[in-house]
Amino acid sequence: MTLLITNARIASENSPDLVSGDVLISDGKIQQIGSGLTAPEGARVIDARSRILAPGMFDAHVHFREPGFEAKETIASGTEAAINGGITGVVMMPNTRPAIDSATVVANVLDIAKRTARIPVYTSGCVTKDRHGKEMAGIDGMRALGVVMLTDDGDTTGDPAILLRAMQYATEFGMFFASHCEVPELAGPRALNEGLVSYRLGIKGSPACAEEIIIDRDIRLAHAAGAHIHIQHVSSKLGMETIRWWKQRGDVKVTAEVSPHHLLFTDEHIGDFDTNYKMNPPLRTRADNEGLLQGLIDGVFDLIATDHAPHTPFEKSQDFVSAPNGITGMDTALVSLYHHFVATGKFGWDLIVKRYSAEPRRLLGLPAVSIEVGQPADFILFDTEAETTFTKDFMKSKSQNTPFIDQTLKGRVDLVVLGTEILLER
Amino acid sequence: MARKDLLDISALDREEIEHLLDQSIPFKELFTRSVKKVPALKGKSVLMLFYEPSTRTHSSFEVAAKRLSADVTNFDVAHSSIAKGESVRETVETLQAMRTDYIIVRHKASGLPGTIARLTKASVINAGDGAHAHPTQGLLDAFTIKEKFPDPAGKKVLIIGDILHSRVARSTSTILKKLGVDVAYLGPGSLVPRTGPENIRRFTDYKEAMAWSPDVVYLLRVQMERQDVQYFPSLREYHKLYGINDARLDEIRKRGLYLMHPGPVNRGVELCDAVMDYERSLINDQVENGIAVRMAVLYWLKPGGES
Repeated sequence: MTLLITNARIASENSPDLVSGDVLISDGKIQQIGSGLTAPEGARVIDARSRILAPGMFDAHVHFREPGFEAKETIASGTEAAINGGITGVVMMPNTRPAIDSATVVANVLDIAKRTARIPVYTSGCVTKDRHGKEMAGIDGMRALGVVMLTDDGDTTGDPAILLRAMQYATEFGMFFASHCEVPELAGPRALNEGLVSYRLGIKGSPACAEEIIIDRDIRLAHAAGAHIHIQHVSSKLGMETIRWWKQRGDVKVTAEVSPHHLLFTDEHIGDFDTNYKMNPPLRTRADNEGLLQGLIDGVFDLIATDHAPHTPFEKSQDFVSAPNGITGMDTALVSLYHHFVATGKFGWDLIVKRYSAEPRRLLGLPAVSIEVGQPADFILFDTEAETTFTKDFMKSKSQNTPFIDQTLKGRVDLVVLGTEILLER
Repeated sequence: MARKDLLDISALDREEIEHLLDQSIPFKELFTRSVKKVPALKGKSVLMLFYEPSTRTHSSFEVAAKRLSADVTNFDVAHSSIAKGESVRETVETLQAMRTDYIIVRHKASGLPGTIARLTKASVINAGDGAHAHPTQGLLDAFTIKEKFPDPAGKKVLIIGDILHSRVARSTSTILKKLGVDVAYLGPGSLVPRTGPENIRRFTDYKEAMAWSPDVVYLLRVQMERQDVQYFPSLREYHKLYGINDARLDEIRKRGLYLMHPGPVNRGVELCDAVMDYERSLINDQVENGIAVRMAVLYWLKPGGES
């Protein structure tokens, strides 16, 4: 496939300025960038009409439910949701059934991905067997199959002693740890911020300190073990400040992620028990939104990740306490970030490319992709003038448990190209 | 205007509340007659769906429905397929197929009556969901207070006890605030949320709360069974700090304060034996008024199946 994209505005992680130009792609690589490029014979020409040409996004925190919960999502449907949202690579979390805690399950997941997914799928592995926090998982076997991220995501590894020893053990193999942070005795199973909303709804809340304590604990453990710790889906401003403090010390390798929903929504959005605003860690306050956004702009957060967590309509139609935690995110993430932050001038495309494309790849030890000559073709076209309405039909995820359901936002992913294939074209 | 469901007091406006309280008066008058029954809901069916044990609220609703001539069915949760793991959704679809007109539901999960209401055409009355709401309790408390203070605006009600786990505190304070009553909470610091409604004063010291000069002292049942972890050292210590003992009862009597309690009481915890004979105790009035306001609610709601 030879493709000439003309009149694009090219985004990069290095500058907020978009560079106008034409891009010639063949053999799965970017061959030429310039203005007034002429199309080789047989080339397909796409007039970008000033649409944004950006590297494909990469989501380092997704729940694909296969094996075990295929009614919610499969690797096939999940990766299609990714493509739908302009994402060309993902990292699965290991809370499947069976949990991804051994070479056998990793091999199974990667095999399913190879057969059913059109984008690269990476998987994390459990720190402990079945995420129970008791015995270490089969770390070396998973490493041999390419796993680099260890996490009991969905839960904190409760026993700090086992986490410390796992860190001392696996760090030697070049692996790193990702932490879902909450003190279970303080947080309980409720996934609702403690505050006026939890009072009003009559559900005991989970205080932000339940999360902040483990953020600090796990960084300290990594500090002691010389490990690399990645803090997942931070929801509180004080949690962000904790990470900032450790990063400023500079004597422990700590990275962190923030999700679009924690930047955008508060517990007030739950309204009358709307389970599409129920996730863990929970939505907190406007001050937390603002603190997290500042943390993202300042680079306290290395990356944006959705924590894409599909659940069936039946599960989410239960009462708020019984409904499972989590919302989907991949179909909506990029458009929602554009609509709420880029279009409003809060940050530029450089931040999106850096935090949702380049840095998440680097976290996994992968090369970042960019729109430069010699780079692999891995990019999207994004129309800032168009809109997207997130109807049930629009979503490619099997589940539609998202606050954005039926909302219309500015921006649309028009084209996704990976290697020699056009994965999506609107 | 009538509603399909009664899920939470906060959904009702002042006019609706006044209407329901006014409508309760003739129903209460009925109780002094030899025949206490009216044919208002003849031919209608009321289904009692109580996932939590309850004697008072359950029988109060049952009496209310029967005095309106409705047919009452008890859905036996303990012996039904619910005990076998059937989801609420399937249960409600079953009830929908039975063409029940009213479902009265109590459940430990906050918000569950609303979930049921969305799934059925029947009118759903929340008879208590978790720590969220107990709207008919709020109505009966407001009715009881209005009997003593026909214009309750500016009066002060002190609610004492486990606010954190109490749907009664939430619904009763909400309705009283809507009627212009001043409300304060008193209880252990661990059971009175620091982040509560701005318009409700928070006390943790009995003397300070009494210095606020309440007109009504409302005691909550201290519910050890809803507490997942310990919130105060012992019931003995609770009684010492917040319970109405003989000395405190003397002061309450001297000041002529009314005393309320949603029942059932814990003697020796939130109150002492002598409180039960206190002449300004409204506890029995609350029970009687509960039937009247529940009749008014049943009469007022309009199930969705009707045109």
